Amino acid sequence: MAGRQLLMTFPVTATSHTLADYRARGGYGALEKALHHMTPQQVTQEVTTSGLQGRGGASFPMGRKWAVVVPGDGQPHYLVANADEGEPGTFKDRWILEKAPHLLVEGMLLAAYALDARHCFIYIRGEFDLPYRRMAAAVEEAYAGGYLGNRISGTSFACDIIVYRGAGAYVAGEASGLLASLEGKKSYPRNRPPRLTVKGLYQRPTVVNNVESLANVSGIIAHGAAAFRAVGTEKSPGTRLFSVSGHVNRPGVYEVELGYPWRRFLDEDCGGMLAGRPLKAVVPGGVSSKVLTAADIENLRLSNEDLWGAGSTLGSGGMIVVAEGTCMVRLLQIMLRFYHHESCGQCTPCRHGTGWMHRILDRIVAGEGRPEDIERLYYIAKYNDGTTICGLGDAAGYAASGMLDKFRGEFEYYIANKRSRYEGRIECPTS
Amino acid sequence: MPDILINGQTVHARADQTVLEVALANGIFVPYFCWHPQLSTAGNCRMCLVEVEGRGLDIACNMPVSDGMHVLTDSPEVKAHRKAMLQFITLNHPVDCGICDKAGECTLQDYHYTYNGEPSKSVEPKVRSTKYYNLSNRILLDNERCILCLRCTRFTHEISKSMALGVERRGDVSNIRPVEDRPLGEDPYSDNIIDLCPVGALLSRQFLYKARVWYLQPTPSVCPGCERGCTVQIWHRKDDWRLETLDPAQNRSIARVTPLENPAVNGPWICNKGRDLARIFERSRADQPMLKGRPIALDAAIEMARQLIGAARRPVALVSNWASNEELAAFKQYLGTVFTSFVKSDCDPEPGERLADDLLIRPDKNPNTARARELFGDALPTLPDGTDLVLVWGEGCDFATLPRGARIIFLNSYLRPENGHADVFVPLSIQTERHGHYTNFEGTVSEFQQCFAKPDTVADAEALFKSLATPARAHR
Amino acid sequence: MKSLVPEFEAMRARFPAGFTSSLVLPCLRRIQEERGFVADADIEELVACLGVPRIQIEEALSFYTQFRRRPIGRWHLQVCHNVSCSMRGAETLLANLQRKLGIAPGETTPDGRCTLTTVECLGSCGTAPAMMVNDRYVENLTPQTVDALLEELK
Repeated sequence: MAGRQLLMTFPVTATSHTLADYRARGGYGALEKALHHMTPQQVTQEVTTSGLQGRGGASFPMGRKWAVVVPGDGQPHYLVANADEGEPGTFKDRWILEKAPHLLVEGMLLAAYALDARHCFIYIRGEFDLPYRRMAAAVEEAYAGGYLGNRISGTSFACDIIVYRGAGAYVAGEASGLLASLEGKKSYPRNRPPRLTVKGLYQRPTVVNNVESLANVSGIIAHGAAAFRAVGTEKSPGTRLFSVSGHVNRPGVYEVELGYPWRRFLDEDCGGMLAGRPLKAVVPGGVSSKVLTAADIENLRLSNEDLWGAGSTLGSGGMIVVAEGTCMVRLLQIMLRFYHHESCGQCTPCRHGTGWMHRILDRIVAGEGRPEDIERLYYIAKYNDGTTICGLGDAAGYAASGMLDKFRGEFEYYIANKRSRYEGRIECPTS
Repeated sequence: MPDILINGQTVHARADQTVLEVALANGIFVPYFCWHPQLSTAGNCRMCLVEVEGRGLDIACNMPVSDGMHVLTDSPEVKAHRKAMLQFITLNHPVDCGICDKAGECTLQDYHYTYNGEPSKSVEPKVRSTKYYNLSNRILLDNERCILCLRCTRFTHEISKSMALGVERRGDVSNIRPVEDRPLGEDPYSDNIIDLCPVGALLSRQFLYKARVWYLQPTPSVCPGCERGCTVQIWHRKDDWRLETLDPAQNRSIARVTPLENPAVNGPWICNKGRDLARIFERSRADQPMLKGRPIALDAAIEMARQLIGAARRPVALVSNWASNEELAAFKQYLGTVFTSFVKSDCDPEPGERLADDLLIRPDKNPNTARARELFGDALPTLPDGTDLVLVWGEGCDFATLPRGARIIFLNSYLRPENGHADVFVPLSIQTERHGHYTNFEGTVSEFQQCFAKPDTVADAEALFKSLATPARAHR
Repeated sequence: MKSLVPEFEAMRARFPAGFTSSLVLPCLRRIQEERGFVADADIEELVACLGVPRIQIEEALSFYTQFRRRPIGRWHLQVCHNVSCSMRGAETLLANLQRKLGIAPGETTPDGRCTLTTVECLGSCGTAPAMMVNDRYVENLTPQTVDALLEELK
């Protein structure tokens, strides 16, 4: 185990996702406590004091987002759980949807109580079939058990959850793109201002939270903010679910207490590198986070501050582990192909920049690279940074500039020699 | 009322304004493609990026003003970003300028030379898409030139409400497309998207390849298509760029019609009927005065008309509601006491023509009913018993309804069989050959200016009425 | 689509007032589940049922990768070719599939059995390489399991 656990605290069995099992381990106790002994403001305060940061990628303080919604403003408020998990390398929200759906339901109920949100939505990416069925079943169980609908737990609190399926668009994971999709339209993100907490779904105050973020709320209410803060580090309280993939022996979802040593996590908890290969690089938090070398992470811990200090981020927690002998040029090609495919096309720098970067990489990989291509990629990345409607453009730029910062030599080699230094290999070399 | 600084200069703003609006209102130009004062903010072109001290760069069109903010619209960072945005916009933009009608009035051309001026940094083949897409029988779409500012789709959603346009697919293969069940051609305001398009992606088919815009000049005028009286610009060849041609008509033709922005009447829009003024003004002209179909000199025709007027005991005039304020005033002054006058409706709605809506289109398809009725009353034309002379002015009169024995003086501009039936026929000049004013249904007076010289053999109505007021020679 | 209208009405009742527009995505999904794709007639009927602008439906159909307006093969093999799957053998797998089926991504076998497409990250990176067969995830693919799968789909 990678430190203390807050979410993955039960053995996964054939029934551990059901309401009965969830209640047997104390589930919905936090909801009862909040509804009978706390005001909505107190719930928000507890979450704020806990320092819980968004676990979708931005690490924005959750309490601060909630606090923007004005109670009693005479408008409907909406809460949306972002289960569009599309960041390559990331599959940890899926774990919650499939294995601990009631954690999400209870977290949403607590948030809905705090935010005075009568109607809540879980937006699940269209491809997630089993997670959708598990989540829909859990919501049905919750209605049957009296945790959803009217007069919940004998109080005047009422709440409805609708499980809404996406239809195949990474950009629908961006909060405003998600709301556009939830409104039945193409997933075009919006400019801010106004913030979504002021004008969101159908122009009403809306809080969009990541699944894992919401899954942490019941623990915070049940055991208190201080108990949550006691886990992790001062700047990164609590735990994070990491999706580990790539060239490791034991890929999968792991809950890591923030501050846990990185190399120990890889070598012990994840079973070490495939075929005993040396580590070359790690993409820490989904392809939108900047890649780090083995040397970079040698003494780092898994925490926000460690990653920020190294020029990267925890992002979505999608950790992709890369062994020595892998061609980073090919990896970047695949990443840029992804961004090009997913750009919604609304704004100038991303619409053209993602296609441009992808084409440059295709050309380099085909042996037709030019010396100025590297500067071109940096140029495109620079002018997608902070200039776009949403973060997709910036992310595509980070993927490129991150790879170039750390592995420029490989790119220069490929361009000069018209071939990869590593035979274009991206699967783990077994010898 | 916040005060903000732009480039070190203090300007006053309203709390509900954006930085872009404040800058433009104070004569500080910030470039933009997708923003338009009449449309929702899209914020997609990213051309209006400005720097705010302490906050970095963001688009100005969606940036609320805050008291004391320092905005820089021309800092090195802003300039570098503008160049970059233009690099992206022109990445896949075809260099069609040599064959593109928009050249000379193209925002992208202008911005390229003002803010970038450098060749493309890309060596990749450009992304190709559909060219010459038949958006409607009036509008041609070129998806390669399109910069996806979405002004056209927003127009059909927010202004004309035809919901006729949208975007198919995504990323750099996105294309503007019309909705499949109803052609854009049913939207009577469709052509406004041609004006809105900042580049040559949306072009008028009727204007296609007719002339380079710098050979043309716009003359302010008023659309006579209905009582709204939208102000327009009628484009025709500049004198300096006259065509060397045997056919004089080519230098007297309307190349195109565009809106003349007018906050009091039509804002920046007109309906498609206003674009088709050539259909009205370039019909075959009557240029020959006649007596019962027999050609005669203008003086002789006028003298005959005087005689008829002098001899008439019950003269009635059917006044045109296409007449200008000046012409109506002249008729009132010179012939008002001579004739019992009724205002006739020159033009009825055509079958299938939209009657009226909340935007611009009005049910009365004539430009000056308001002033005509003001001067001559709003009674429907009913000829009193014993009418022995009818002066028919303008179109729309069915001669079969006129009393059998009455003499007819017919004043008209266009070639019609009835011209030959009139006892006296005098051809008149048309709107584009004169200067004048119309009064619209709300009482707003708008000016039209002369575009072309009138043919020598036609009369100006104002001068004609003064002549007709002089008694006939035989009766002096 | 008419047979689905009662279901759509039930859906509408679950949403808050004023949320009719939101029904577009779930309705399109149901229509496609029944027909295999969304036909032009379905679009007309959905416009009539929901009262949303037709252009909204056309845009959604072309924006989202999971919607299609033409029928495809009986089995839709959607192979992830993103980073983690490629690092665990997706490219080799895809090449094998192309060879075995005799089609390239985007194509359907002549007998109409299988359509092959490449897709982006499915959220199965820990069980890579992975693909979807119609709605189902098939993970931890190996050449052997892929062969077995193709047998199953005969």
